[in-house]
Amino acid sequence: MSQIEIKSLNAYYDKLHVLKDINLNVEKGEILSLIGPSGSGKSSLLKMLVGLLTPKSGEVTLNNNQVNYTNKTDLRKIREQIAIVFQQYNLFQNMNVLKNVCIAPTKIQKRNQKEVEDQAVSLLEKVGLKDKLKSYPDELSGGQQQRVAIARALCLNPEILLLDEVTSALDPELVQEVLDAIRILAAEGMTMLIVSHEMSFVKEVSSRVVFMDNGSIIEINEPKIIFENPKEKRTLDFVSKILKDK
Amino acid sequence: MGYTLVYTQVLEFFPYLIRGALISLQIAILAFFGGMFFGLIFATIRTFGNKLMNNLVIWYVTFFTNTPQLVQIYFLFFALPEFGILLSPFVAVLVGMTLNAAAYLCEIQRAGFLSIRQNELDAAKTLNFTLTQQVKYVILPHIMKVLFPPLSNHYIIMTLGTSMAAIFGVEELTGRAFNINSETFRSVEIFSLTALVYIVITFIATFLLALIGRYFFKAKMRIIQ
Ligand SMILES: Nc1ncnc2c1ncn2[C@@H]1O[C@H](COP(=O)(O)OP(=O)(O)O)[C@@H](O)[C@H]1O
Ligand SMILES: [Mg+2]
Repeated sequence: MSQIEIKSLNAYYDKLHVLKDINLNVEKGEILSLIGPSGSGKSSLLKMLVGLLTPKSGEVTLNNNQVNYTNKTDLRKIREQIAIVFQQYNLFQNMNVLKNVCIAPTKIQKRNQKEVEDQAVSLLEKVGLKDKLKSYPDELSGGQQQRVAIARALCLNPEILLLDEVTSALDPELVQEVLDAIRILAAEGMTMLIVSHEMSFVKEVSSRVVFMDNGSIIEINEPKIIFENPKEKRTLDFVSKILKDK
Repeated sequence: MGYTLVYTQVLEFFPYLIRGALISLQIAILAFFGGMFFGLIFATIRTFGNKLMNNLVIWYVTFFTNTPQLVQIYFLFFALPEFGILLSPFVAVLVGMTLNAAAYLCEIQRAGFLSIRQNELDAAKTLNFTLTQQVKYVILPHIMKVLFPPLSNHYIIMTLGTSMAAIFGVEELTGRAFNINSETFRSVEIFSLTALVYIVITFIATFLLALIGRYFFKAKMRIIQ
């Protein structure tokens, strides 16, 4: 029984068919990486999972419960279980770092303020932002905002974490830190879907890699196979191009 | 040349002048909030309305922002009676200024709507904010910060614009200055004093609005200009 099951799913932005007949199972505790050219629908797949892009057909099952993305109760439930870190971070510009991290746990989940703040501070400390608690997003670099967004997602204590290109805006020495944090989370059993262009990282941490192109899943395989001996020609073209550019 | 400034006579009328200033403020405040109300409706139509409604508002805004306010009020004051609608000078000025403000404040508020960041709303949704919580925590703080400075500016412009009411016989600040002038013929004194009263009114308003804007809405406003 997989934690997430996606069956024959199609989604559109108006007329643009952005997710085409997607079939994908994600096991509990798995780190699944999504790779593919820009515009291939990786972000859209993550957004669909958290209900920002409503599927037109097909089904999604989460922990054995089928999700109805047009139903408010269902949406609320899946959003309690799945947290997303957006490619553009999507921080609240009118709130400082600490408030960004604490607002949902305190105001939405109604958890204890003190307990949430302690957790938030320790998370922010972990991502190297202890001295930025009172800063506003527009005073931070892209990499710093990225890490605030990660802390915000983790402070929700989600079962599943979706990470959209989290390493692309980071300084090299921080990439390692964030990747270490991801490894620890993985060891703790958190399920993760990661969109990343950091091929060595993808290769190292992923249990499986999904290659997407033009809205479709072309290949799902172990990282070793995807990078060294892919079954599909399009996968081969993409990985060899990416590896050559490095 | 050879004119000696004598303020004593004019100063006797000071309380009378100040009561006129209160009428000016009354017109400015009423027209501003009326303009905000209709401007909000128009901005909503411009953002979410159908094509026909949208076009009507565009025409409205184009008309009112491209003709002099004085002409607009003249129209209300002299043309409407031809259609059997009689407005007192005060009401004609108030209605004219409200309609004019609605056009400008529609555009200002629309710019505020357009500056809402979809990114942040996406984040709020996935964090399970209800619509009310999105408005309270994300939309309003942002909109107030963005809108407060231009709205404050427009309010100041409107305060000065109320002097047009004098032309229609409303006895507000400028109207009363006219009255005192025709009684004393101390033109330089009375109009310099009147200018000073306008400066004080707008200075106080600017100061208070900047304080409110900075401390409540984190708007970037200078307290001393
Ligand atoms: N909000 C949107 N409205 C319309 N089209 C969109 C939107 N977001 C993405 N797209 C389009 O959907 C396609 C997939 O985009 P995306 O999922 O962001 O790809 P990726 O993350 O793989 O780069 C692209 O063609 C993109 O232009
Ligand atoms: Mg993307």
